[in-house]
Amino acid sequence: MSVREPNKTITVTIDGQVCRGEWGQTILQVARANDIYIPTMCYLSKVEPIASCRMCVVEVENVEGMILSCQEKAVDGAVITTHSDDLYRERQNITKLYDVNHPLECGVCDKSGECDLQGKTVEFGVDEQTFTARDQHRPVQDWGFISYDPALCILCEKCVHVCNEVVGDEALQISVGGYKSTIINAKLDQQCAECGECMAVCPVGALVSTDFKYSANAWEMNRIPASCAHCSSGCQLYYEVKHESIDTAQEKIYRVTNESEFSSLCGAGRFAFDYANQEATQDAAAFDRAVAALKQADTLRFSATITNEEALLLEQFRTAHDVKLVCDDAHGYQRFLRAYREVSGTTLYRASLDDVAHSRAIVVLGTRIYDDNPMVKYHMAMASKRHQARIAYFHPMEDARMQNLVTQFVKYEVGSEEGVAALLAATLLHGKALPEALQSTLDELDIGNLSAESNVGEEELEALALSLWKKQGFTLIVGADLYTHPESESIARWIAAIEKYGDFNVLIVPPATNARGVAEICTLSEGAERYTVGYNAPGDFVLSALGEGDLDMPALNQQEGTLVTVDQRVVPTHPALPYGGYTLNELLHAFGIGSRYTIDQTPNLPAEAGFKAVAFDDLPDYFDAIGTEYRGYLLEAHACPANETYTEPDDLPTYDGVLIYRCNEGNAFSPFTARSMREPEKGCLKGSAQFAAAAKIAEGQTIRFEQDGVSYERVFHIDTTLKGTVAIHPTWDRGLSAFALSSYRFAHLKFETTGNDDE
Amino acid sequence: MSLEHFKNRNVGTQNYRMLDLDPTPVTGWGQFKQVVRRSLSLELLVGLKVTLREMLKALLFGKMHTTKYPFEKLPIGPRYRAIHEMKRLLESGHYRCIGCGLCEKICPADAIRMDTHYGENQRKEVSEYTINFGRCIFCGYCAEVCPELAIVHGGRYETASEQRASFSLFEDMLTPIDQLKSQREFPGYGSVSVNADTNIKKTPLAY
Repeated sequence: MSVREPNKTITVTIDGQVCRGEWGQTILQVARANDIYIPTMCYLSKVEPIASCRMCVVEVENVEGMILSCQEKAVDGAVITTHSDDLYRERQNITKLYDVNHPLECGVCDKSGECDLQGKTVEFGVDEQTFTARDQHRPVQDWGFISYDPALCILCEKCVHVCNEVVGDEALQISVGGYKSTIINAKLDQQCAECGECMAVCPVGALVSTDFKYSANAWEMNRIPASCAHCSSGCQLYYEVKHESIDTAQEKIYRVTNESEFSSLCGAGRFAFDYANQEATQDAAAFDRAVAALKQADTLRFSATITNEEALLLEQFRTAHDVKLVCDDAHGYQRFLRAYREVSGTTLYRASLDDVAHSRAIVVLGTRIYDDNPMVKYHMAMASKRHQARIAYFHPMEDARMQNLVTQFVKYEVGSEEGVAALLAATLLHGKALPEALQSTLDELDIGNLSAESNVGEEELEALALSLWKKQGFTLIVGADLYTHPESESIARWIAAIEKYGDFNVLIVPPATNARGVAEICTLSEGAERYTVGYNAPGDFVLSALGEGDLDMPALNQQEGTLVTVDQRVVPTHPALPYGGYTLNELLHAFGIGSRYTIDQTPNLPAEAGFKAVAFDDLPDYFDAIGTEYRGYLLEAHACPANETYTEPDDLPTYDGVLIYRCNEGNAFSPFTARSMREPEKGCLKGSAQFAAAAKIAEGQTIRFEQDGVSYERVFHIDTTLKGTVAIHPTWDRGLSAFALSSYRFAHLKFETTGNDDE
Repeated sequence: MSLEHFKNRNVGTQNYRMLDLDPTPVTGWGQFKQVVRRSLSLELLVGLKVTLREMLKALLFGKMHTTKYPFEKLPIGPRYRAIHEMKRLLESGHYRCIGCGLCEKICPADAIRMDTHYGENQRKEVSEYTINFGRCIFCGYCAEVCPELAIVHGGRYETASEQRASFSLFEDMLTPIDQLKSQREFPGYGSVSVNADTNIKKTPLAY
């Protein structure tokens, strides 16, 4: 990355210890990297220094007064003292002030045992209140999934900064009023993202989960390190488990926590943890039926909610028994990646989430990123808030929730993605040194025609080009709309060309949990044949972790194995809950495939795809003191044969009339997230008033329609935040059929009315 | 007598006084003479006199020294650690336990378990609370750690049961609401010291 400062090394002396650091690091960062303790209250590594607590003060030689180590950059040769009598008194006084009128309810507080204020109060020996302030009535506020107790709040502002700087939601604000200051949720009535990030970073018990509240204590639960299984980000998390109750000794996940100092989670990761297949038992008869079914199967259909090890077992089964592997989640992605590699000549795309956060300009194409991958959206928010990054959002549907981040929304016609990719290439590669084949294809492009057909104005592209003027550090994020597009391979080549010659880092967001791993490991085919065995997918015989199939399988929080994330990182996950049934590994033993444990396959993952021969138990899983991620390993890049051919888009397909867009909104990714919902909801078709008028559907009306052979009966609701004639069509509540959708995400809506909900 | 006398364990260096006893007979004839002399002098009845006196007292005057357990029980020390009691707040009658889980955590025998939930009155409430008296070693840590003086030890020491593990529920240990007035504080581990009032520093209220 060219935008970042070259790493110049500096040397400072902290408490007599000579410490090395990088230029641009703060004193606190250098100290932490060298295992030197400086107490802090408001400092949170993943946001810019907040500097509201003043606990991190240090003394620097030849500098008068005390210095805030969290925001002061370390200067080469500085001599720093972190502990002295003066500093101790200063910190003790700060703690005393925090403790004024702090309710003495540690006995019941959810945070007790892991509370920063408790820790600092003990550390600085504050055992009495010598200050005085008139206390005021501060009732507990119910924010739905979170409850906020202003009496416990110490106004460190971590939650506000996370909500604005990381999540990009701008829901939390400070209501300033001296001693009366509180945190307010400005988006309470318009549904904030419900990610729970504020709760995770709260150092005291002011923000706690309403569901978890008072049900267990911090020290009672067993922490199981794992990776989130809901989308392709594979975020780090801990499942915290304890026996269910006095009467039931069975383990239960009480909550999900994470290394919130360094990494983040979305609402699904944090709250949708209750999807384990716990009732499963070893049903020998069903097992025999499964073996028989596998023997006669010619197609194995599976979802990408699967570990790499299982994907490898399936691939071994495919080669040994000559069956077709069908994975609708990952097949389009695999095709797209292959075409991309033909041009880029390397197996890996260049961008990581960290690159996104450090970008100065981001172009998003073909994804409703807010719902498709919240973590990518978080990193876009970081770029926007920290670097004022320009974000150009190319999509047929505007996303009102992204308005505060997106600087340029470019609406294109549904189906014209190939044209848009070509136009983007023409714009972004203008004036660059290009190989002849590409240059001539670009020259031949009928820009006017493409622009007219895709409805992307030339002036919009010019504005985009202008906004990149004299900037560096660009990221292009492409998503799931493109993988299922009929011309996805052509689009992939244009995207690769932009990365190769246009000084862009590309992030090709995997469309499902482990779509990347499946795409790397399995040889996939299209379409089911005569007899299909489905693994977490529909089929004639179904192996299901949702507990509704012919043989039970463990859910991803009951399995150990590895996943490949959007960062192209192979991360380990561990079982949080026991599982009583059979696993895929045991099932394939009947065919002489598999090993004693599924994780024995970890070192066997294909090296040509970039996997390393590392045993599962040797995979690291931690963050160091300054937040460097050591989870698993990054895939290794391999060169692959390049074959640069570009095709000029033919006539772009047109999608007129009313359309539906397959998209799981708001922390509902899949049937697994649906399973963890306390009260099973049903998805509804959401469209604008314009959509309702064009399709002649009334609010609350129930309609029936079909997509990919699945029949849906949906209540229609008007959503005033939407525009245009495309409605949002969720699939997460329809069981395993959600894992067998391979068509283009947009589709014509042909429906019949089945009645009105109001009647 | 000072402490030194007890600490000095060097046998033989202290001042011992010999008892004024007859020399022990060494010959067979001597031993025979001693037996005959002691038997005929009726020394046995001197000892039995006390027994007979007490027997007659018990039979004729009802002055009995034996406690007829289990119909009678001796008073037990107030700090004795037997079956736990759960106390109530004197003012409201609500149980004192706040469900903090410290007793569960500290219990070295892992005998205590509790379930808590968010109550309707917005407080942490105890759903269920059990002590496994088959495991409990009556060490008193739970009473000592309790911040609310809610769990204490009582005087009920009969823990024999037909089952190895005999559970006790929260309600069984809780002071019956109609006996709230006669609820007494436990003076043992975890209780408030007698001079607690003088030790308390009040928060300044100078506004």
